[in-house]
Amino acid sequence: MTTNIRRDGKPSKPAPALSLDSWAVVLALALSLAIWAGWITHVPW
Amino acid sequence: MASSIALDAPVSEGFFKQSLRLIPGLLLLGAVGYAGRIIERSIATYGKAHHLTLPNIEYVLWAIIIGLAIANTVGVPKVFQAGVATYEFWLKTGIVLLGSRFLLGDVAKLGGVALVLVVIEIAVSLAFMTALGNAFNLKPKLTTLLAVGSSICGVSAIIAAQGAIDADEEDASYAIAAILSLGAISLFIFPLVGHWLHLSDQSYGLWAGLGIDNTAEATAAGALYSDAAGKVAVLAKTARNAMIGFVVLGYAIHWARKEHTEGVGNKAAFLWRKFPKFVLGFLLISAIATAHVFSKDQLGNIANLSRWAFLLTFAGVGLRTNIRELGKQGFRPFIVGAVGELVIAFLTLSLVFGADRFLPK
Repeated sequence: MTTNIRRDGKPSKPAPALSLDSWAVVLALALSLAIWAGWITHVPW
Repeated sequence: MASSIALDAPVSEGFFKQSLRLIPGLLLLGAVGYAGRIIERSIATYGKAHHLTLPNIEYVLWAIIIGLAIANTVGVPKVFQAGVATYEFWLKTGIVLLGSRFLLGDVAKLGGVALVLVVIEIAVSLAFMTALGNAFNLKPKLTTLLAVGSSICGVSAIIAAQGAIDADEEDASYAIAAILSLGAISLFIFPLVGHWLHLSDQSYGLWAGLGIDNTAEATAAGALYSDAAGKVAVLAKTARNAMIGFVVLGYAIHWARKEHTEGVGNKAAFLWRKFPKFVLGFLLISAIATAHVFSKDQLGNIANLSRWAFLLTFAGVGLRTNIRELGKQGFRPFIVGAVGELVIAFLTLSLVFGADRFLPK
């Protein structure tokens, strides 16, 4: 994990392990897997 | 905004505390979005019961209006803000899930046309916005941020470019404010113009995806027109988002040369870092759906999950738009953005008309 230095010289927060996009992909794939495996059988709309 | 929430590794101690902090805002997103659904259904039920032909106003618009009303009257209390900021996460989750509604062949055909239009749109928009920024004497880096924001994908592109060209935070917030306020205006104007011109779902969706900068607004403007237009808008916008790394890399090299600073080291690593990963997720789910891994019912369920994710997104679009705050931002950046957006809207509309015969029927 990298620690970036901000312009004011203070170290910024370490970069998150996974980006927001990657978390979104993980969640979407996990939900799709749950539907495929039959753990989620009905999603109303 | 995308940068306002960073989800740390699940094992870290702060993760649970962070998750708890999100709950009030998530509940607010759900309540606002669902209220939109209730209003849409109530109007339809009332019309049916009283044999009236009432306009079918989609929940998308109601959710945005309720969100706007809250944000611009009582405001969004601090306790809700972290959760409300997750709307971008739900947007991306919704887009990935939406991939299940596209066969890979459709993606290649429609996405291919969209990609050609995207390249033309980006090249012309970047050149025009740069000339316009120079004519209005805007700071060069602010001009770069506005050009990147209006030609590719709004807020995410501005944030990516800000880091890459070492621009001031103030410039980035000006550019973001201009792009957001123009996105909010486009959200209402695009569907009106689309109906006025009797655009097909496909042409309109393509236009919304190419012409509206922020992904959330482009998705909402597409869904406001029709479900089918919403799908195409997301696909076109996704093709546009995929170009973010290339354009930001180009600007990073340009500014490093101009300021004699350290340039971009490993270009492939830079491109991978900036590439929006949800585009890959979208293609992956589309490929899985094309391989008939899911049954028809399962595809329906995944599509419904995508709708729920978008419901949270649309509520967030309204809740995060503070009209007074946007008004406080610079006048000149707004004018440059507005003129640019208008020209880009005309340009993309002409491109869509020109490409009509190449679109899959």
